Amino acid sequence: MLHIKRLSKSFGQRQVLNDLTLHVRPGEIYGLLGPNGAGKTTTINIICNLVKEDRGEITINKQPVSEASKSLIGVAPQENLLYKSLSCAENLDFFARIYGLSKQQRWEQVQVCLEAVNLVDRAKSPVETLSGGMKRRLNIAVALVHQPKLVILDEPTTGLDIEARYEIWELIRNLKKQGITVLLTTHLLDEAERLCDKIGIIKDGRIVVEGSLSVLRELIPAQEVVVVQTRDEEGAIARASQLGFTHRRYGNDLAFWLPKPLELKEIIACFDGIAVDAIARSPVRLEHIYVEVTQG
Amino acid sequence: MKYWRETLAVAQRILIELLRRRRSLVFWTIFPVSILLINGFIVAERAQLSMAEAFEYAAPSTLVGAALFFSCLGGSVATVVAEREQQTLKRLFISPLSGTSYFLGIFVAHTCIGIGQTLLVYTIAAFWGAKFQGSILLGGVIILLSIISYVGVGFVLGTQFARRTEDVNALVAAFGVPLLILGGAFVPSFVFPKTLLSIAKFNPVYHMVKALSGVSDEGKKFADIELHFWFLYVFAILMVVAGWLSYRRMLSVERRL
Repeated sequence: MLHIKRLSKSFGQRQVLNDLTLHVRPGEIYGLLGPNGAGKTTTINIICNLVKEDRGEITINKQPVSEASKSLIGVAPQENLLYKSLSCAENLDFFARIYGLSKQQRWEQVQVCLEAVNLVDRAKSPVETLSGGMKRRLNIAVALVHQPKLVILDEPTTGLDIEARYEIWELIRNLKKQGITVLLTTHLLDEAERLCDKIGIIKDGRIVVEGSLSVLRELIPAQEVVVVQTRDEEGAIARASQLGFTHRRYGNDLAFWLPKPLELKEIIACFDGIAVDAIARSPVRLEHIYVEVTQG
Repeated sequence: MKYWRETLAVAQRILIELLRRRRSLVFWTIFPVSILLINGFIVAERAQLSMAEAFEYAAPSTLVGAALFFSCLGGSVATVVAEREQQTLKRLFISPLSGTSYFLGIFVAHTCIGIGQTLLVYTIAAFWGAKFQGSILLGGVIILLSIISYVGVGFVLGTQFARRTEDVNALVAAFGVPLLILGGAFVPSFVFPKTLLSIAKFNPVYHMVKALSGVSDEGKKFADIELHFWFLYVFAILMVVAGWLSYRRMLSVERRL
């Protein structure tokens, strides 16, 4: 669906994209992750034909990016870019019109989109009267109104409460069920883990790792990650090192990679003689992989 | 067809937004009516004219010199700035909407507002017995050229100088009020000193007022107002070009998510 090959872009002396390559298959939810300034937004700008690449190839549904390819894409930017004094239905109708839908198609699509984002009962409400979560859902609905092949969701749940977040996640899963391809950027690794079929981590303008979560997990030679709270961190690190555990810091947490699964009592025994206050264990998560890739 | 469809969509959206802000709509109505009444009564009293003659004199300058100035110039600046502030411009950049349609959409919307104000001003003037003395077609063309000029200037100011809503008032006041006074919108140009009058001849508002007053109040023909008409015509074209170039410049700066 979306193929990007050796994409490069510089702004002045600053190289933002450097031979970035990624492939998104039809019907897939692709998570594009990376720290701020890594090149995610520039990539989206190029896909949307807002910025011209310096070098590289980019095709959407086998078409090169152009003004014509804009109709293939639906974009829900991070901010809710909506007309506040217009109602939900009027916002959708306006954008459907811009995308060239006939009156009948517009009427149908407005209903379909309002249902999809669960805003049918607020169809006539002005946007300024909606809650943050509703606005975000409408923002996504606007991206869907012209039935695009590829939907780009730029941090769709940033700033939302957990309930609103669940609703957006459900909406994204429904898009996948309808066969719509989704390119999702997010800083919420939990979100990417739950939703994405494939994840690409971008750093310094190029994709450094790419694959499904299970493929990415293989990047870390661990079966489990154990977070240890102790007043004797040096002792714990020395002990872990003797046992062949790799240690890492995730924020303030001191963690160890376990190369094979251990029973809890075995883990506790590993730190015998060290003043341990608490131990928490978890499978290798995207957070661990992300930190390894972006800070490693 | 694409341009037409997009233009109508943009125009309709602007008009719906205006209708939603009923208070603004009421103010847009109060403004020309109050200016017309004040001008009409002052002229009737000071120039010892009948009410019909006074309102025939006051209507054109009130319309092109004041009402259209604030609605079409101020309105188009406000439209562009509001799109920028709400960031909906970004959404439009992502869509296949062409810049031409966007410009035309704003122009069509403000033309509708301008036509509404024209009907309002001339209906009230007619209530006092005023008549449109010259060719209505020629008067219509002058009003249309005035709207084009104002929207063009509004685009230039809105895209280049106004970043926030607060800037709109300052801009309109800084550029507008001196131009209006110098254009004879509030004070008749025959009372201007000679030096001021020679400066006023470079002011498009002066030519708008002179052209429309000539046709509407004095029943003059095209040949009689030719100089004012052509000045306005060239200015309108220049402003469309300048507005378009300003929009393109803004696009190159702001085409980012």
